[in-house]
This record gives sequence, structure tokens and C-alpha cells, in this order.
Amino acid sequence: MTAERIAMILGTAAIVVPGLMVVGLGLATLLGRKLSERAVSLTSRAVIVLGLICTLGAAVALAVSGKPEVAFDGGALVSYARGHGPDAERFRFGIKFIFDRLSVPVMLLSYVLCGVISAFAGHYLHRESGFVRFFFLLAIFLLGMIVSVAAGTIETLFAGWELVGLSSALLVAFYHERTGPVLNGQRIWTIYRFADAAFLLGAVALHHMTGEGDFDRMVGYGAWPAGVATVTSSQALFAGTFLLIAAAGKSALVPFSGWLPRAMEGPTPSSAVFYGALSVHLGAYLLLRISPLIEASTPLAILVTSLGAITAVYAAVARRTQTDIKSQLCFASLTQVGIIVAEIGLGLRYLALAHLIGHACLRTLQFLRAPSAISDAVAAENAIGERSLPSTHSRGGLLPAAVQRFLYRFSLERGFLDTLLNRFVAGPFVALFRFFDRAERKWTEALAGAGRRESDASRPSFESHEYLP
Amino acid sequence: MTAPFPVDAELHLGRSDALIARERVALHDGSESPERAAAARDARREELKRAIEHAAHYLPSQGPIGVFIHHNTLHAFEHLPFHGGVEEGARVYGCEPYLPERRYREFLASGRIDPEEVEEILDRELRGSAEEVVATLVPRRDLRSAMLLRPLYGGTDKELRWFVAESDALIRFRDDVEPSLRSRLVDRTRRWAMRSLASDGAVADASDVKASRALREQIEQFTRRYGSDAESWSGPTWNAFALQAVWRACREGVHGAPHAPTTSHRMIRHRDLLHEATGVNADQPVGELLIRFCGAFLDQGVAAWHPPAREEGFLASFIATYGSAGVLCEAWRKPLAKVLRRWKREGLTSLDAVQESLDDLGVMPHERDDFLRATALALRGWAGMVVQVEQRHSEVARPIPPGSFEEYLAVRLLLDRLSLAYFARRELGYDGPLADLNATLRKKIGKPRHATVEQRAFVVFQLAQVFGWSAEQLAGLSRSEWFELLDEIESFGGVERRRLLHTAYEEQYFRKTLDAIGEPTLKRQADRARNHPRPSFQAVFCIDEREESFRRRLEETTPACETFGAAGFFCVPIYYRGAGDADFSALCPAVMKPKHWVTEDVVPRLQQDFARRRKARRLFGQATRSVSSNSHNLFLGAVLSAGFGWIAALPLTTRVLFPRLTARLRQHASVLIRHPNETFLHLERGDCSPDAHPPGLGFQPSEMADIVERMLRDMGLVRNFARLVLFVGHGAGSVNNPHQSAYNCGACGGGRGGPNARSFAAMANDPRVRETLRSRGVTIPDDTQFVGGFHDTTADSVEFSDVDQLPAEHQSEFAEAERRFARVSQLNAQERCRRFVSAPLDLTPEEALVHVENRAEDLSQVRPEAGHATNAVTFVGRRARTRGLYMDRRCFLTSYDPAIDDDNATIVGRILGAVVPVCAGINLEYYFSFVDPYGYGCATKLPHNVSGFLGVMDGAASDLRTGLPWQMVEIHEPMRSIFIVETTEASIRKVMIRDENVRRAIENEWIRFVLLHPQTGALTHYQAGEFVLHRKSGRVLETFKTSYHVFRGQRDHLDYALIASGLLPEEFGAWSPAPETQHAGARS
Repeated sequence: MTAERIAMILGTAAIVVPGLMVVGLGLATLLGRKLSERAVSLTSRAVIVLGLICTLGAAVALAVSGKPEVAFDGGALVSYARGHGPDAERFRFGIKFIFDRLSVPVMLLSYVLCGVISAFAGHYLHRESGFVRFFFLLAIFLLGMIVSVAAGTIETLFAGWELVGLSSALLVAFYHERTGPVLNGQRIWTIYRFADAAFLLGAVALHHMTGEGDFDRMVGYGAWPAGVATVTSSQALFAGTFLLIAAAGKSALVPFSGWLPRAMEGPTPSSAVFYGALSVHLGAYLLLRISPLIEASTPLAILVTSLGAITAVYAAVARRTQTDIKSQLCFASLTQVGIIVAEIGLGLRYLALAHLIGHACLRTLQFLRAPSAISDAVAAENAIGERSLPSTHSRGGLLPAAVQRFLYRFSLERGFLDTLLNRFVAGPFVALFRFFDRAERKWTEALAGAGRRESDASRPSFESHEYLP
Repeated sequence: MTAPFPVDAELHLGRSDALIARERVALHDGSESPERAAAARDARREELKRAIEHAAHYLPSQGPIGVFIHHNTLHAFEHLPFHGGVEEGARVYGCEPYLPERRYREFLASGRIDPEEVEEILDRELRGSAEEVVATLVPRRDLRSAMLLRPLYGGTDKELRWFVAESDALIRFRDDVEPSLRSRLVDRTRRWAMRSLASDGAVADASDVKASRALREQIEQFTRRYGSDAESWSGPTWNAFALQAVWRACREGVHGAPHAPTTSHRMIRHRDLLHEATGVNADQPVGELLIRFCGAFLDQGVAAWHPPAREEGFLASFIATYGSAGVLCEAWRKPLAKVLRRWKREGLTSLDAVQESLDDLGVMPHERDDFLRATALALRGWAGMVVQVEQRHSEVARPIPPGSFEEYLAVRLLLDRLSLAYFARRELGYDGPLADLNATLRKKIGKPRHATVEQRAFVVFQLAQVFGWSAEQLAGLSRSEWFELLDEIESFGGVERRRLLHTAYEEQYFRKTLDAIGEPTLKRQADRARNHPRPSFQAVFCIDEREESFRRRLEETTPACETFGAAGFFCVPIYYRGAGDADFSALCPAVMKPKHWVTEDVVPRLQQDFARRRKARRLFGQATRSVSSNSHNLFLGAVLSAGFGWIAALPLTTRVLFPRLTARLRQHASVLIRHPNETFLHLERGDCSPDAHPPGLGFQPSEMADIVERMLRDMGLVRNFARLVLFVGHGAGSVNNPHQSAYNCGACGGGRGGPNARSFAAMANDPRVRETLRSRGVTIPDDTQFVGGFHDTTADSVEFSDVDQLPAEHQSEFAEAERRFARVSQLNAQERCRRFVSAPLDLTPEEALVHVENRAEDLSQVRPEAGHATNAVTFVGRRARTRGLYMDRRCFLTSYDPAIDDDNATIVGRILGAVVPVCAGINLEYYFSFVDPYGYGCATKLPHNVSGFLGVMDGAASDLRTGLPWQMVEIHEPMRSIFIVETTEASIRKVMIRDENVRRAIENEWIRFVLLHPQTGALTHYQAGEFVLHRKSGRVLETFKTSYHVFRGQRDHLDYALIASGLLPEEFGAWSPAPETQHAGARS
């Protein structure tokens, strides 16, 4: 067997393994089997170790083979062609994974971080009622992450992307008995759907241009990072803009940044893995994957760079007034994600990749240690030997007072981004649909002659019914 | 979308007619001079100020979380009797007074609650009226006891209809109906039915006509369904027939019965009514804004920027932040900037602003106090923190000006108005003045819904089965009898039932405890102890119930030793600064304010080394901090994370996967920068006054003598001193835990008691102190040496200090004692581990110690230890009264010898003065955090998020969560602490007259108070003003060889037991051997 083949097999195994865990945990829960904490932790540990070994093996085999990339082609779900020759209309919808210098390191990163998180969560969530649910969602997340990282076609990436989004939103709403987490989970879900729609449009556009969604076909020739796009500059700008919106939603770039601090509702390890480490970098990863497209279009590159830079500056300013540890960390995280995106726009692909990996490790550690904030501050004070407060320089230093005040307000209200989206996007949208609802009600009532909807009369009841009042 | 928002002018002028009329009256009263008007205004302002202070009293009094002090969550209700207090508290806070009824039923099923005790309590409470027969059917006691002991189900109207129609509720009897009763009921129904079939119209009165018509209908229905005629129906058919007849009779009976006036949830704020009417929560946007601003305003050093004009107070800062025009903001608060600017222009004080809002909202004077309280409680965590930071301005890093709470309330009320106006308009199209909003909303809500016929009938239906009331019987009841029955059932409501069940729940443990303390063996032991030989060593621990097991195991392994319990600051209240600390912290109970400062310094010989290390540590500290803060920055963060971020993977994986190993490594590495271990305390002061700086540090010898004398007398150690007396303070070390301080010593104000023990030992060793003591009648032999130590209750390690100063002839003895302590650490860890589900039950002592050490260092561990969970008893008396008793780490043990107290009960008075608030505070905080983990506690730790170094929020933005997290209280049993005090009634009466707090706690029964007579050993407990003799149940305590034999293989709460090896031996030589083999607790 050649090294190339081994790399392909091991790489594919690394994708299958978390899939098995999802199926296993999911089936057991569906069939109503009560899983013990021990069983769940052991399974997840085994799966992650196995996956990690496979990925490492694939990395070694890939290095030995000397090839820049190895692909696993799962064949086409849909394949369609009409006519012959260069004018033929082709359409192919395929499953394909590629293992190259981009995907393998990020797969390794995903496995290491998910492994640490699941070891952490095994203790942290001990005796929590949602224990199995958490691990099930974590398995879905890991699967989604690995699938989207290794994806060789845009539709495969989309599948993984969706799994990541779904599990993230559900984990934000992990404590579904309180209103806050549910409202915030829903908000995140909404923004994700918006980004997904952009993603789909971008994918359709790419399909339209090249007939299929394979990255290597789209890129033309050369493995990452050396790929060169085959599409024209304007085509790249068109499809790339959609994909940039998708990435912006997923990575909480401006103007979608408002959801990031709201995502800190779940247990600490989920905040760590999603918003410190993996989830928030997924948008940047998508941009890395399509970096040949960005290179092909200078306007697109400028767009990416400036969006990244704006986000970085925005997050750096917004962080200044965050008074809770997790929000501090999440804006710190966002600052770096912005810079990574800017680096991608500038074409610094290796730097962006190294930055992404380093940042994910660092931030995960900081997130997991977030509850230590108070004792860390005391320890630092003791070490330095005085009761020193962190520098409390006033807002913006030398700027005029009015500007300082504005900056403060800007930072405190997180750049008014939520207000902006609420008032100018969500508000009109809801108003429009309320209008439709009213219209529908009118004509159904007119048709029915009279009466109201049955659902109007009944209200949800919140009392406990078990015993007498 | 919606029409333009009402402008500020309308909002301000929008007053109710009633108010305007009232003002007009005031204006036209005429005769008042301007001075008198001004005086009246001042008086009104003063009154409002008082009302606001009063409202603040109800807020949580938990301060910044770095120092966690346990206190009664319902401190504001301590003037009421316990049950009244918890019920009133539950009403005010919207929380639960007791556990859910479901839990009590589980306890009934498991035997944790005795049904007999329930009946006894019922009898006691009903007194004479227990035997009164309700509606000719059943004595009141039986009815209530059935309602307590049998689960009666209820439900919504629709749910019940479904249940009756679709389930077998009308086909089969409840499982808990006795067969004889069941067959009698069926039999009577059958006879009634057959009789009715046979007779034709020869009936007496109208109700009979109705009943028999219904019966016939039912017979026909059954005949249709089951074919054959009634005579040949099978048993099950008759069962179903009887049940349906009863159901019909119940429905018929409750029809039209009057309803008791509902005392459901009172809606005080406009927001409550709006929520009820529309389902919209007007507090939500207000909360979001306030949480963010309060966080910024109160922040103690997390954020880099602080709000403008922070020094000028809450209101000024709020105006400076939100008063600017032309900034994009959420629709509901568009008018905010304008109002704020008007306030600023008019120079409104916060009281005026509150008054303006009250007027605008149409709050009547008689509603004002309740309204202000409810408003303050709407975001109680943050509001409470405003009060706390305001009051503790000398303790916090960044104080806020006084009056901040009033200003908070002013802002809150304004935001409430804006939000209400916005939502009333959006949801209801309401444009009128807010003062009239309530009336509109009330109209919309309509009358409260009463229980429906089905709901009421279903209860009677279930009781009818339990008691075997037949349909004929029920149909025969008159209207007034029906009403009586319903009234009787409905007046015995859920809270009332839970109160009774809770009382029974407490009662069982109370009885067991008193039985155990009354055990004759212990009495004999105490009598014998008066003249026992010199012990090999004496060890003094904190009264903390976590030390109970440590002391017990120590006595088991070294029968010749003696242990004592005293509040863990050992009468040494100090501000202390360790060699490695930046600042002083108070080590004493929260109610005290130290007058002395003590610092730790490295011995002169190592000063140079110390200075070097301190420099290194400082550099390291600065580096760490700048890395961690710069990693959040734009540019340096980029460099750090891109260049070196991957290095973080190393600590990330090792700390999570191998916590103990990593901790060891870190500890070894830290030797380079930690201060040397050889240190001394600046404990002695010259003639100057106490101060935080050198000549003022420490105590004068006379002060030391007072402290030592008081401590020794308090715990009754005034004679028979051993050669070694070890004082062991305690604290807890855990990582990644915002509530860390809550695990520390309560008597040291949430600090670690090591320095207090060390200081005490040094004082007691001072020859001048001993000289003074001798002159006062306490003679400490010259060969007695005191040593201070520290017990880490999480990792179960014990360390002693100043050991090098022990005379040579004590060294080997001390080494032996230290060995015993080390062994007991392992044994204690083993006993603790039985409570951790994640620790296997068969751990050896050695493995158990490793396990607890891991817990202390594990970042992912949310239960580093159990804390005070399961605490239930406080014992004040001689150890000989409890020695050898297995108390399962549930008892605070305070040493006190009544024999050396004076006639005035001085000693017991001062002990109780300290112990009652501390132990009851701990106990009640655990009680409430367990009973309502969301309302009173801070629920699960997992989503907690440290905010402003002040406290924790749930997730991204929530109210500041006070109380204890669920992980801390999870294994607790919510019961009031049982105080058992070895003294006489006469003495305690004197104390109660002197000490208001103690009297209130006893009389209002926030603690269960029991007296143990020092001579006779009789137990009397306080009940409604008098002390009632406890009758022993006659149960004999089980005896086990060692503690290990009691707890091995057990996870849950254990009963009291006697430990043979723990009892005071009849006679002992010095250092009788530690029977090591029987304690091994090896896997067997």
C-alpha cells in the first residue's frame, strides 16, 4: 500500500469515527436507553483518541508520500450532463474530502481541543441533568467541524457547517429552562441561518460557474496554498462576496458581532470550544479554503481585509468596557479573528493558519480558566506586591471629552450593532410578516364566515400539575 | 410599524386624574405658608428616603464574592417565627418556602419521613379540633392526614377531562385503597343500584329523585355497553360502575359551591399586570441595560475603561453616559436622553426623581413601600450589590459615593416608565397616562380564574376512594355539608401541607439526634472524664462540622489524645498580611472589626534570599499579567497568539488531564520565586497604638494574656494541660472556583485560619503571658508547648508552623503527633470520599488522599469538597459528651465546660453570641439555597461568569446570582440547625435576656434549641416559650469498632452510632498505640 493510500484511508477514518459516535449516542438516546456518565465519557474519549491517531497517521503518511494533498472521493450524489464537448452542461453534487496542508493541521487542532474539552466536561458536568445531551451535541459539533474542515466540495462543507451551527445554537440554549439562553440561542440561530443562506447562494453561484462544487476544480490547479482560481475575477467577486457574508456570520465579524457575547450562556466548556476556539474560526477557515478566489479578485481581497480590520478594531474598542470575564475573552477572541481574516485578505495564508491554531489553543485555555479570574487577580497582586488595579486610563486618552464619551457609549453598547440589526433588519422583517399574518387572518376569517383561530383561545399553562395547588 | 413614540412631555405630564385632584386639593388648601410647605416637602422627602432604605433592607446582603460570608438568606424576616418568615419571604421574593411536595412524598416512601410523626404533628397542631367530623363523613384529622400521606393529583381543567375520559381513572381504583374498603364501597353501590332498579318512584324528596334518576341513567348506559342486565355484571364492571357513580356524585356535589377568596400572587408593579395581560416582560430590556451599566459602574477592575463621571455617583454617571442626543438606541428608550437632560437641567435630586416616577406611575402613598420594595427586588442581585459596595467603601478597591442606591432606584424607575409606555403602546395601543395603565390592564385581565367543577370534584373523588365513601353516601349529603367538605379540603393548601411534611422531616432527625446525645454511655464517659490522666496531646480545631470526622479519627487512632473545638479565629481577630501577600485581610468573624495588625516576615538570615526571590516573583507576576492582559489586545495579542499561542496547548492538556502532577510540578518550580518557609510573625507591639506599620504591628503582652485566657476558659481547657497543645486553623484551597472563599473558615470571615492558630500558639508560649495567666488562676505547666497549624479541608493536608522553635525534648513527641495527623488526613480523606460519586467506594486511605489532592487542583472540578453541606447540628459542651459518637460530619462542635462558667453564664453567653449567628447563618444559607436553588441560591455553577470581581452571572448577562451554587448544596438536607447546649435553663434565660440575637433565634425558632443538663444529662427542648423534656425512644445506638466500619460502602446520610475505639478509654498511658491494622480500611 502506498503512503498516499494510507493517508487517504486514515484521513477518512478520522471523519467516520465521530460520525459513529453521533449515531451511537443518538440511537441510544432515541431508544430511551439511559447511558451512564462513565460510558459516555469513555466513548467520547475513545472516539477522540482514535480520531486523533488516525489524523496523526494521515499527517505522517501525507508527509512521507510527498504529495501536497490526498483526496477521498465518495462519488457524486447527483451527476448530470447534457451535450458533449466544452459546451456541455454539467452538474455534479458530490461528497469528497481532501487532506492537505490546510485541512490536516486544523483537523488535528479540532481533535486536540475537543479532546481536552471532553475530558474537562466529563468532570465539569458530573451529575448535571444534561450530561448525555451535552456530549451528544459535542459529538455533532466535532463531526461537523471535521467534515467542514476536510471537505473537498462546497456541498460537503455546507453539510459540516450546518452541523456546527445546529449544535452551537442548541448548546447556547443548553439551559432551556431559563429564558435568557433560549432567546440568545434563537438569536444565534437566526444569524446562522442568514449566513447559511448567503453560503447557499455562493455555492449555487459557484456551481453555476464551474458546474460542480469541488474546491480543486474551482481552484483549477495546484494544492493549497498554491492554488490559482479558474474563475474570472468578477465571478470570484460575485461568489466570494456571498461566501464572505457566510463567513462573517459564522465568525461574528461586523455587523454580526452582537451574537458572540450572547453565546456565553452554556456551560463553560462549551463557551470555550465554540467561541474561544473552533466555531468562531470556522468562517476564517472557509475564507482560507477559498483563498484562491480571494486572490483572483482584488476588490474581494480588499473587502475581506477591511472587514477583518474593522472587526478587529471594533472588538478591541468594545472589549474596553466589558466587565465580565467571558465577554472580555470573547471580544479578545474576536479581535484576533478579525486580524486573521485581514491576514487572509492580504494573502498571508500560512501566517493566518498559524495564527488561527495558536489563537485557538491560547483562548481555550483562557476560557477554561475563566472562573479563576478572582484568584488570578489576587495572585497577580500578591506577586507584584501591591494592590494595583489594572490601568484605568480614561477613554481614548487625549481625545476631546465628547469624543471620549461617545467612544465609551459606543463600547458599552457594543457598537450599537444589535440595535442596528434589531431596528433596521429584524424590526421591518417582523413587521412585514405580522402584516402578512393579519392579511391572512382577514381573508381566512372572511372565507370561514366568522370566528377566530382555535389556537387564539388556548394559552400555555405554566402551573405544575403534579399535585394539588 | 408603530406611530411615533409619545414624547417626554406627555410622559411627564401623564398623571392620573386622581393625582391631579389630590394636588389641586393640596394647592388650594391655601392656608399653608411657604415655610410650612417646604417643611412638609422635606418631611415627605425624609419619609421617602426611609422607605427606600427599608426597601434596601430586603436585598441580598452578599458582598463582593472574593470574601464569602454565610448569612441567613432571609435575614430580613428574622423578626417573624421561622415558618411565618419563610412563607412571607417566599411571597416577597417569589420563591419556595419548602421543598416541592413531590420530594416529601419520596421521603415518605423511603422512610425518611415517619407517617406516625406526621400524624402526631397533625394532632398537636389541631389540638382539640382533631376529632371534629367534617360533613358527617370523616374526622378532620383523618381527612388532613390522608391529604398529607396519600398523593392527591390535580391538573388543569383540560388535562383532567382528558384524564377522566381516556385513562382508567373511572375503571380502576387507586392502588392505595385497601381491598376491604374497596369491596365495601362496590358492594354498597351494587345494593343501591339494585334497590333503585327494584323500586319504582317511591322516593322521598327532590334530591333523591335527582340522584336516582342519575343512577338509572348510568345503569342504562352500562347495560348498553356491557350487554347483559345488571344482575350478571362481573366484578370489574361493578368496580367501574361504583367509581363512575362516585365521580358523578362528586361533580354534582361540588357544583355551585362558593369559592374561597383567592390569595394568589399579588401583582404589585405595572410590569406584573402587563405581563399577565400580554405575556410581554417589560423588565427584560430594562434589565439588559441596567445589567450592563451596573456592571460598568460597580466594576472592581475588569474593564479598562470606566464610565464617565463615575466618582459623582450613579445618577450623574448614568446621565453622562446615556444623556447624549443623536445616538442610535433601541426603540423603547428613545425618550431617555431627553428626560435625563431635563433632570440634569433641573438639578433633580435622586429623591425628586423617584418621586416624579412614583407620581407618574400613579403609585398611591399606601402602595408606595410595597411598590418600592418590589421594584428594588426586580434585579435584586445588582441592586443589592449597589448597596453593598456603597456600604463597604473602605473594603473595596473602587468605592462608590453614598446615595448610589437611591440613584439606582431613580434610574430604574425611569427606565420602567419608558419600557411600560413602549410596550403598552405596542401591545395594546395604549397611549394614556401610566397612572391609569393599571386600571386598564386589570380590566383586560379580568377576574382570576377559580378552580373548575372538574378540578374540585377530582379531589373529592380521590378522597372518596381513599375513605370508601360510596356514591349513595355522597349523594345524600346536603348542600351545606358539601360546602363544608370542600371548604375543609381547600383550606388545607399546598404550603400548609408542605409545612407539616417539612416539620415531620425535621422531626425525625431531631429525635434521632436527641436520642444519640442522650446515650447513657456518653453520659458515663463525661462523668469519668473529670478526673482522667494527662493526655498525650491536645488538639484544638475549629468548630466547623468538617473537622468532626478529623477529630473523631484522631481520637480513634490516638485514644490518649484530647480534642477541642473553638471558633477558628481562636479569639485572635487580626488584619493579617503574609510574607507573600500584597495587602492585609481581616481574619475574624464578619461581625468583628480587628484592632490589631499582624504581618509575616522572612527570618533575617534569609532576608537577602527573600529579596531576590521577591524580585523574581515580581518579574514573573508582571510578565504573567502582561501576557494575559496583552493577549486580549489588538497587536500584542496577535503576536502572542500567532507566535506562541500553540504553547498554551501544553498547560491546557496537562492541567486538564493530569491536574495533581501538574500542580506538583508547578509547586516545585515555584520554589524559585516563593518566599522561604522560615518566617516569623510580627506579633509583639511596644507602647504605641496598634497600626498597620511596623512599630504598631501586633499585641502587647497584656492583650495577649487576655486573648489566651479567654480562649482557654471558653473551651474549658484550664487544667490538665498535655505536653503538646496543637491549635489547628483551617481553610480550603481549590482552583477555578469563584466561590472558593465560601469553603474557607467562617469564623475567619471567609479567610484561612492558619495565621490565627499560629499567633495564638506563639502568645500562649510566651512566658510573660503564662505568668499573667497564673496570677489569674490558669496555670500552664512549663513543659506544655503550643503549636499552631493549618488544615486544608479540600486536600486534607495539615501543616504546622514554628516547629523549629519547639524545645528539643518535645521534638520526638511532636514528630509522633505529626505522624498521627498525617495518617488521620488519609483516613479523613477516605471518609469524605464516600460522598463523592466520582470516587470509588473501595478507595484505601492512601488512594483517597490522592483523590482529594486531585480534586483540589483540578480545573474541571466543580465539587472540590462538600463544604458545609449536610450540616444539621451545633453542639456546645464538653467533648466528652460526644466523643466516640459517629456524627457523620454534620455537627459543629464547640467546646465549653459548664463547670467553670460563672453564675451569670458569662462564658456560654459569649460563645452563643458568636456561634448562633455563624452556625445558624451557614445552616440557613444552605437551607434556602437547597430549597429554592434558582430563587435563593445561584443554581448550577456551570454557566457562571465572573462579573466585575463582584459576583457571578448566569451566562452572558443576568442578574448577579447570590446564594450558594447547587453543586455546593446538592447533598444537603434542608433542616434548621439543632443547637444542643450543655447548660441549665436558668443560665440560658439569662443569656436570652442579655443577647437579643440569641433570644430572637431561639424564640422565633430559626434554630431548634435543646438544653443538655450538665449534671443529670436530661434533654429539654424549646417549644413555644418553655423547655420540654425529651422522652427517649428506647432505641439503642449501634456500636462499631471504628468509623470505617460505619461508613464503608455507604454514600448517603448515616445514622448516629457509637465508635468503640473512639470512646475515652478507662485508663491510658501516654501514646497508647494507634491500632493501625483495624483502621487500614483496605479493600476487603
